[in-house]
Amino acid sequence: MSRFFATGSDSESEESSSADEITPKATGTTFNKNKEAFTPNLILCCPLRFRFEELTNIIKTIRNAMKIRDMSKCLEEFEQLYRAFLKSKTIVDKEGVPQFYIRLLADLEDYLNQLWEDKEGKKKMNKNNAKALSTLRQKIRKYNKDFETEIASYKENPEQSAEEEEKDDIGSASSKSDDDDDEGITAKSLMKKKPQEEEKKAPEASKFLKGAADEESESDDDEDSEDWGSDSVDSGGESEDNEGAAASLAVVFLKKAQDGDKQHEPKKDGRRKRHKKIEQVEEEVDEDGEAEEGGWEKVKGGVPLVKEKPKMFAKGTEINSAVVIKKLTEILQARGKKGTDRAAQIELLHALSGISNENNLGQGILVKIKFNIIASLYDYNTNLAAFMKPEMWKKCLECIDELLDILFENNNIFIGENIAEDSENLAISDQPFRVRGCILTLVERMDEEFTKIMQNTDPHSQEYVDNLKDEGRVCGIIDRLLQYLESKGSTEEVCRIYLRRIMHTYYKFDYKAHRRSLGLQGETKSEQDQEESEGEDSAIIMDRLCKFIYAKDRTDRIRTCAILCHIYHHALHSRWYQARDLMLMSHLQDNIQHADPPVQILYNRTMVQLGICAFRQGMIKDAHNALLDIQSSGRAKELLGQGLLMRNMQERNAEQEKIEKRRQVPFHMHINLELLECVYLVSAMLLEIPYMAAHEFDARRRMISKQFHHQLRVGERQPLLGPPESMREHVVAASKAMKMGDWRTCHSFIINEKMNSKVWDLFPETQCVREMLVRKIQEESLRTYLFTYSSVYDSISMETLSEMFELELPTVHSIISKMIINEELMASLDQPTQTVVMHRTEPTSLQNMALQLAEKLGGLVENNERVFDLKQGVYGGYFNRDQKGGYQQKQNYQRDQKGGYQQKQNYQRGGYRNQNQSSY
Amino acid sequence: MAVLSTDRLIFSLSDNLEIEACTYKYSPESRLKHMGKHKPGINICLRSSDNQWSVVLKIIKHYQEEGQGSEVVQGVLLGLVVEDRLEITNCFPFPQHTEDDVDFDEVQYQMEMMRSLRHVNIDHLHVGWYQSTYYGSFVSRALLDSQFSYQHAIEESVVLIYDPIKTAQGSLCLKAYRLTPKLMEICKEKDFSPEGLKKACIGYEHMFEEVPIVIKNSHLINVLLLDLQEKSTVADKHELLNLSSSNHLEKSLQLLMDRMDDMSQDIGKYNTYCRNLSKQQQQKQQYLQRRQQENAQRQSRGEPPLPEEDISKMFKPPQAPARMDTLLIAGQINNYCQNIKEFTSQNLGKLFMAEALQGHNS
Repeated sequence: MSRFFATGSDSESEESSSADEITPKATGTTFNKNKEAFTPNLILCCPLRFRFEELTNIIKTIRNAMKIRDMSKCLEEFEQLYRAFLKSKTIVDKEGVPQFYIRLLADLEDYLNQLWEDKEGKKKMNKNNAKALSTLRQKIRKYNKDFETEIASYKENPEQSAEEEEKDDIGSASSKSDDDDDEGITAKSLMKKKPQEEEKKAPEASKFLKGAADEESESDDDEDSEDWGSDSVDSGGESEDNEGAAASLAVVFLKKAQDGDKQHEPKKDGRRKRHKKIEQVEEEVDEDGEAEEGGWEKVKGGVPLVKEKPKMFAKGTEINSAVVIKKLTEILQARGKKGTDRAAQIELLHALSGISNENNLGQGILVKIKFNIIASLYDYNTNLAAFMKPEMWKKCLECIDELLDILFENNNIFIGENIAEDSENLAISDQPFRVRGCILTLVERMDEEFTKIMQNTDPHSQEYVDNLKDEGRVCGIIDRLLQYLESKGSTEEVCRIYLRRIMHTYYKFDYKAHRRSLGLQGETKSEQDQEESEGEDSAIIMDRLCKFIYAKDRTDRIRTCAILCHIYHHALHSRWYQARDLMLMSHLQDNIQHADPPVQILYNRTMVQLGICAFRQGMIKDAHNALLDIQSSGRAKELLGQGLLMRNMQERNAEQEKIEKRRQVPFHMHINLELLECVYLVSAMLLEIPYMAAHEFDARRRMISKQFHHQLRVGERQPLLGPPESMREHVVAASKAMKMGDWRTCHSFIINEKMNSKVWDLFPETQCVREMLVRKIQEESLRTYLFTYSSVYDSISMETLSEMFELELPTVHSIISKMIINEELMASLDQPTQTVVMHRTEPTSLQNMALQLAEKLGGLVENNERVFDLKQGVYGGYFNRDQKGGYQQKQNYQRDQKGGYQQKQNYQRGGYRNQNQSSY
Repeated sequence: MAVLSTDRLIFSLSDNLEIEACTYKYSPESRLKHMGKHKPGINICLRSSDNQWSVVLKIIKHYQEEGQGSEVVQGVLLGLVVEDRLEITNCFPFPQHTEDDVDFDEVQYQMEMMRSLRHVNIDHLHVGWYQSTYYGSFVSRALLDSQFSYQHAIEESVVLIYDPIKTAQGSLCLKAYRLTPKLMEICKEKDFSPEGLKKACIGYEHMFEEVPIVIKNSHLINVLLLDLQEKSTVADKHELLNLSSSNHLEKSLQLLMDRMDDMSQDIGKYNTYCRNLSKQQQQKQQYLQRRQQENAQRQSRGEPPLPEEDISKMFKPPQAPARMDTLLIAGQINNYCQNIKEFTSQNLGKLFMAEALQGHNS
């Protein structure tokens, strides 16, 4: 029976080695382990093992005593052993006499015999020892008779030894032992001498002794290993049931029954095996562990949370606020970690809120959970640039709505960013709840996400419209929050939420108010009701909100935005003077370039709106000035945040492009670029054409609008001029007509079906704008006509003019008067005949040309003189007098010419000369 | 070839019958005065170039058919030298050809033409070329170059400049020019640097010499012309008395101004060049002085003087702007001025005449 058999069963060894796993140092600390093993309950659970332990312990001490020849000790121990053996009689009967017991008996007998024969040694022994020796010898002889067969078989196996001899020896030894009592030699020296003597006397015996010694050492080792083995079994027994322990014990016994020689190999093998097993087991354990640990880890990770969801709390756990809060923090800890399933987390939080709701844990916790739900909804998208899915966002919207519901219902909830986590009060309902979290931030974020969604939706799809419908809800939430914060929030918060409200209001045209201002009533009753329920005009709201911000805000940015929005709103509703005054008062034009890009975009939008407003009001010049900056750059689209211009990659990398994309204004807030350009071009036309006509021959004429000129040039470059198609072509064609003073054609180009549908119908008061435009065209055409053709006329009747341009006589009169006052037109009014008398002081084109030529000549002469100076300066006497004279003559000639020119000037009449003399 | 056939026709008409060109519209007497006037210092004895009306008519016809606006037509003059006169008896135009037909070989065409003409027994000696002009703008580099090559190859060649606009106003304007021998030399040397021109002592006045023209006609042509005169309408006849002047003046002024701009630009360039040059001269001077001082010091110390360095390498003179263009521009400006002066003086006369007429009437 080898250990192989015993270890053959996997389960046992696995368990034992798995037990080893837990205490891998067992081999090193055998002794301690043994002590540990002697715990009372262990004795209870394995009496057999205990008995044997007892026996082996005693045997050990006996052997020790044998080594030092302490016979009295030997005797003592032997008697103990005897008693112990008797105690374990039942087991021994069952199991048979243990091998180690037999071996001890045999060894002891041999040993005693040996001692007995050693006369000298006996002499040296002290009295006690000798006495003990003899009694022990007798006892063991008597005792051994019971185990004769076993001992015989034992002795046969390891060494041949004659029983009789031994017995005799023992007998003699015991007889002699008394004599040697007095000798004070230490046992050790005896021991040393003894083998020598024995070698002489009986080589066989010495052999035997050696073998015995060998055996002893071996058995020692064995014992160690046994201990180790048993120990392992022990500790295995701790975790395993008793059966397994018994089996493993049997293994130990079996092992011990083996011969000394054989024991080595199996042991080694066993060890090797064990190693393998350990590895195996380790693997298995790992696998198990992975399963288990995975489970554990994933608790952290959140996946098993889903699995656990139905039993978020163990069954029967009393759900109270503390538990819920604990759970909440547990969930929140996973937030932001890698591998966290954010969707699951959101669901979990929802479940938690459901639980807390069910159990009536109070609003405090609910608010807290809601806050966290919304936060984790925002977390769902890790990338800030990406936009939330509309569904997610809608969920978020609902959550915020619910949160607001709670907040409105419960007045005793305080929320705020500055409430520390530990000072939160979620549970105790007598005191007001204190919850950390800022609803304003959440709403702001929600609003931003809305903008992002709108930015990322195709503006021409139904989806966009659907998404846009949610804008009402957003406004609703903002309104509610506004109410809430008005009662509870700090001024700063109120300012912020006001700005949000403003941002959602400023770009919308208030049709209701507009209609009301026109004095129209709603056509049907229901509409009237709606109107009434609509509440105050957006203008009043804007006014109230903005003024609050002007007064209370401490951050510059909010105020700037509010002002701009306010101006925009004014401009949108054609309150030109208010808008302009606000713009001028704010001095934003001076320092807007220091603002951040979104504010600058807002500023640009406002300026454009202001310009368009001015145009509607007929302030052409103001309109042109306001729009000039935006339009002249040719990047109106970009400046208004309504799209990116195509540019090569060098100017803008992907990163920048992303940033710029984020700045875009959602489509529903866009300003129509064609309208913008048309307004700009038309106002430029109304300014530029008369100006061009007035300064036709002025060499230093500056153009008012470069862009307009560009368009004109493009028009001129066309090889074949068809009827105008695009808005620009219309304007160019109109400009050409206006140049000739043909206002009717101009009018028909500017205002027609195409232009109406493209541009003019986009204005709220289309009719007014068109009327204004017609009038402007008439007036400017008249001016152009007068500039262009005044040289042809000696006098014109104003009546004819008013007929030509379909203007009232007073208007014509005023226009001409103004021109005369401004010295644009050299003419006078003849009151009685109602005619304009031309003075004809404008230089003809030839005269103009001559003037220009004179100017150029002046420059040429100057240049020439410079060359001459240089030559003279360097080469003093290089030129002869003649040349110099020639030059001087030339100068004289020049002077003459100048004189001639002056004479010519004198020839002209007063007004013009006065005007021009300054330049000469 | 239509042109050829008419040529032949006219040729046959004008066959050796020489009559003095009678007054036609605008008295050619003033021109005749030039006849027989010797140009001092000119080696070639070209007293006059004898022109024939057939040639004149052909040139006019050529322009009317092909030239428009500022476009220029050109052609070859044929004739022979008789004593000290150059008689131009025929001409043929260069065909207008676009950039597209690169195969066209002008020289071959000319040779072909001349050969054909010789076959019909017409003077086929190449004696120059003609060109139309727009408001008197013809003094250009291109004209200079081609005239130089003509004159280089055929010593007596001239260039006839025909001004259609002035002709349309009622006075035939046809002028013959040659390059002065001075300019010929300069062109030969191709030295247009300021120094070169200075050395040649040439001004814009001395670039071209005008050769007086006498137009002689066969009697048959005179008859034809008189007949044409009879047939022409009154309006055509009184074109000469047209008082409006501003349009022509404006155009001239415009062109003059353009040239002025070019001129001032050139002057500016020259100015910078001069400044750079003088600056460098100064530097050079300074350098030389320093070097001298150093050498003097070294000599006093008994050391050998510093080695001579190539100063021209160290101070490379700046690239001088070619002055020929400036000269040409100046010539052109002069031309314009002459034109304008002429025009205004005529107009002034007309205005006085008109005033007198009005005074007489009232």
